[in-house]
Amino acid sequence: MGKVAGIGLRSPHLAEIGRDRPATAFLEIHAENYLAGSPALQAVERLRADYAFSVHAVGLSLGSAEGLDAAHLARVAALVKRLEPAYVSDHLSWSVSGGRYFNDLLPLPYTEEALDVVVRNVVQLQDALGRQVSIENPSCYLGFAHSTLSEPEFLDALVRRSGCGLLLDVNNIVVTAHNLRLDPRAWLSGLPAAAITQYHLAGHAVNDSDGEPILIDDHGSRVGDGVWTLFEDVVRCYGVRPTLVEWDTDIPALPVLLEEAARADQVVQGVGRDAVRAA
Amino acid sequence: MPFALPDLQAAFAAHLAGEERGELIAAVIGDSIPAAARLRVYRHHVQHSLASALAATFPTVQALVGDDFFRALARAFVVRTLPCQPVLAEYGAGFADFVADHEPARTLPYLADVARLDWALNTAFHAAPAPALTPAMLAAVEAERLPSLGLRLSDGVLLVRSEFPIDRIWAASQPGASLEQVDISSGGADLLVMRRPDDAAFVPLAAGEAAFVASLDAGNPLADSAEAGLRADPSFDLSTGFARLLALGVFAAPQQ
Amino acid sequence: MTKTRIAIASALAAALVLPVAAQAQGNTEKCYGIVKAGKNDCQTATSSCAGTSKKDAQADAWISVPKGACEKIVGGKLAAK
Repeated sequence: MGKVAGIGLRSPHLAEIGRDRPATAFLEIHAENYLAGSPALQAVERLRADYAFSVHAVGLSLGSAEGLDAAHLARVAALVKRLEPAYVSDHLSWSVSGGRYFNDLLPLPYTEEALDVVVRNVVQLQDALGRQVSIENPSCYLGFAHSTLSEPEFLDALVRRSGCGLLLDVNNIVVTAHNLRLDPRAWLSGLPAAAITQYHLAGHAVNDSDGEPILIDDHGSRVGDGVWTLFEDVVRCYGVRPTLVEWDTDIPALPVLLEEAARADQVVQGVGRDAVRAA
Repeated sequence: MPFALPDLQAAFAAHLAGEERGELIAAVIGDSIPAAARLRVYRHHVQHSLASALAATFPTVQALVGDDFFRALARAFVVRTLPCQPVLAEYGAGFADFVADHEPARTLPYLADVARLDWALNTAFHAAPAPALTPAMLAAVEAERLPSLGLRLSDGVLLVRSEFPIDRIWAASQPGASLEQVDISSGGADLLVMRRPDDAAFVPLAAGEAAFVASLDAGNPLADSAEAGLRADPSFDLSTGFARLLALGVFAAPQQ
Repeated sequence: MTKTRIAIASALAAALVLPVAAQAQGNTEKCYGIVKAGKNDCQTATSSCAGTSKKDAQADAWISVPKGACEKIVGGKLAAK
């Protein structure tokens, strides 16, 4: 089986990847870092011949009640047109209110009202790009008392109504489930399997909140054991998908990141062997 | 009617900027980790990550004042001036002016101009490359028409003028710089900041060159700009200065 | 055409064929390289003041003193610390 795991392309590694062209299933970039015409965009364009790309947006604010920022949407659409990536995604969250951008993936109440907003924005995004996008489950540090749907129910309805794909971030499931007192395996059951397009893996930190542990999605370490275990369950349950290893804080040397991606490939291969043996 | 989404997002936005919003705390489920503590994760992240973005855009300011003071300065700016769009490389246009007016930074009178230099380098780095005007293109123009020609600086080319030696202050602030002191009363600097193929850089201009460029940038034709250069420095050599600027590729080629 | 204007025209025309010394074109030092690209991320901050800490994200500007390369910048009206 070929590689399924890709890595996040971060600027400290750009020169090294350009020179050494290490083997990896794909490279992921954050759309917002390549909307201006810096030399980094040209460096990415030079890599296009050798790598599949994932354009992962972090600032479209698909959960904003005030709708999408048309100028930003146009810039993202132009980048997607220019790079023709294999995958395009953003998050189930919001970042903009009153025209101000908060640089965070802020939580939504899971209500019919919010669902209407996200469906409308995702449909507008897909129309502007002329293709399907995948929506990622966020890391949550809080839940709203007036939510009437669970996060998986919300995602399922979003997929059905907008035709979007689902990007399952396994680390975010672990973080959210711990922080909101949910069972991660229950969270995973009953997702729309056919809509799942990609998996994400990352490390998280355990912070202290007056004696209570709270998990923080800092993308600042190796993938944790609990996340690897859940990833194995996810692959067993929903099958093999392109899988991204993200690392954004205290970015390690490139070989460390590639090791993490190799481990993701090993997990996938292990699940495959088990399935053959069971058959 | 429960919390409508537009109201919830407006209240959350106010919370992120530092306000206390009781109705928001009431809408959040708390347990052994209270609602207010959960909300603080987001406020801290917004303020911290935007300050980090400013640190990346203004590395020389940060090196001059150190991490603690920079974070305090950046946070004061962030809560007043949140980004109005998501591309963080384009966030911080007003930071230099903010630094100039910020009372705790008054002891460092050159700091705002250093911030202008950092911003210009950031702007130049993120400018899309565009064809530069070459001597060959101008050679096609009749010599007697040259004086009335106006030239536009390429996108991302910026003239930063300071009464302080900000080029030497910049150099002294780089990692691994020598311990040599810089006297801020040792003369100003006029720096032309530009995009190069793989990075952004600045070159110091002589007084006449700087006045010439500033006049062209203000939309004046070459003749008036040449005279501005001579007024600023009677020894300004127009041929050498203009040849140098053309070689630097700082003028935009005429659009097709 | 005035005399000045003729002089300016010929000086400008001369510039088009003038060889330029390499050092006049500027330094070769990397001022702002590619490693600076990438300020947008999707992780959450975990500095000592992040998370659920009641402490504000950063200290107040008034109680923090500039402490960095500015110690090398002297002269002028710089107030004593």
